[in-house]
Amino acid sequence: MGLNAALTVPTTAQRPRDNGHALVGSRCGQCGAVSFPARAVCHRCGTPAPAEHTFATTGVLLTYTTVHVPRPGLPAPYTLGQVALDDTGPTVFGQVRMNGAEPAAGMAVRVRIGADGETPRYWFEPDRFAG
Amino acid sequence: MTSDDIEVIGVGMHPFGRFTGHSLKDLNRVACVSALVDAGLGVQDVDAVYAANAMAGLLQGQEMIRGQSVMREIGIERIPVTNVENACASGSTALRQAVLAIRAGSADVVLVAGVEKMFVEDRGRTLAALESAGDLDVVSGIGLQFTAVYGMRLRRLVAAGRLTVDDLVAVSVKSHANGALNPYAQHRKIVSPEEVLGSRPIADPLTLLMCSSICDGAAAVVLARRGVIPSAGRPTVRVRASQAATGYTTTGNEPSLTETCATAAYAEAGLGPEDVDVAEVHDAMAPAELIAYEHLGFCGPGGAGALLGSGATQIDGSRPVNPSGGLSSRGHAVGATGLAQVAELTWQLRGEATGRQTHQPRIGLAHNNGGWLEGESAVSCVHLLERTDPWD
Ligand SMILES: [Zn+2]
Repeated sequence: MGLNAALTVPTTAQRPRDNGHALVGSRCGQCGAVSFPARAVCHRCGTPAPAEHTFATTGVLLTYTTVHVPRPGLPAPYTLGQVALDDTGPTVFGQVRMNGAEPAAGMAVRVRIGADGETPRYWFEPDRFAG
Repeated sequence: MTSDDIEVIGVGMHPFGRFTGHSLKDLNRVACVSALVDAGLGVQDVDAVYAANAMAGLLQGQEMIRGQSVMREIGIERIPVTNVENACASGSTALRQAVLAIRAGSADVVLVAGVEKMFVEDRGRTLAALESAGDLDVVSGIGLQFTAVYGMRLRRLVAAGRLTVDDLVAVSVKSHANGALNPYAQHRKIVSPEEVLGSRPIADPLTLLMCSSICDGAAAVVLARRGVIPSAGRPTVRVRASQAATGYTTTGNEPSLTETCATAAYAEAGLGPEDVDVAEVHDAMAPAELIAYEHLGFCGPGGAGALLGSGATQIDGSRPVNPSGGLSSRGHAVGATGLAQVAELTWQLRGEATGRQTHQPRIGLAHNNGGWLEGESAVSCVHLLERTDPWD
């Protein structure tokens, strides 16, 4: 497949970013590299039009921070984290909603998808089913 | 032709800090005129300008011709002025463009200028402008502030046992102590470990006194092809390496962006980390200096705390890092930062750094990063400078 396949991929607005309960991005059919959100060309091997891919709903909280400086519409403190999604999914930033519990590096988390029009679109919570 | 053929013939700064009555033109004027006077040149000796700025479009509404608008104030017209914007690495990116222009043979004398004015009436606008250093299509709405990105990086290292909170505090104390010696610095007050730990939490484990703050300032560097401008009878500083790289989608298992860029710079110069005598590294939050120790090869994995504790990176140590006070104490006037680093290193290599002078350095390293992608900086630039004359 030539690079010109990248000319006819869906526009960024047309590419789904979630399916209501999981994040959706792309996974390269050639090298397996994943991206959230989807891209037009694989960042690792240069193959165009990586396939749409639904990622695992669970992941590992690599690190986190509690932010004490508020932003418009976002009262402080709030917690942000970096999550590696399971099954060799992408590494993404997102809010972490602990509901009073203490976050810890290495803990299992689960993605939550907001209602249509909600900001942020997704966030993470402790995975209460994790062993 | 190699980069060995390019010399730093003049440097200048407008002090970093809060300068309410000073416009972008005022800040830029002081830095550029100081650098040209330092070089012994007039404005008509300049063949080309690279003008760095990151935020004036959002904060002052001056888009499109930011460089042209500040340069006409000091009588620079007609020659090519190229605007360079690359987040917090705008200054070093502009420097690299100047190096490339001279190497390409299109200019002999190039003025590189960086200016930023971050203090505006509404601090929220400055925070929003800083937040735009990420890929907003991906991260907007989650509240990803600059400080939070660094907080997460440091938390991960602390959790893994590679750094301690005491290390984060100690390097912040060092940063402030160095800044106190620098007349160009924004923060010039010595602080105690207790004051650092007890200051307001920003994005844990970071506290207020660990972080750079909103800052106005400007810095400028004049580069010339070797031999074009007669030596001013003082030590010569030449560019040994000029490298830039862009961040990548990380799986967490690759070498860091800084490591990649520094490796290329060392290769270009035929030098290694052991040859670096003094370094100015990108510490938008003072503890990021510790991460840079590893990524620049000054210590092995997990060795940053011990290196700091040994005193080697203090001004009187064997390899001083951030004698200027770094971004967190000298200040981080975003578009000017990379050039302020080069000004500091030039003063250090010439022996003109007054109360913060390090011991007879020969090789200086400037490390300037900018923006962020998921897990990595968006930009990294590493420059190596050399004093060619022996110290007597
Ligand atoms: Zn691929």
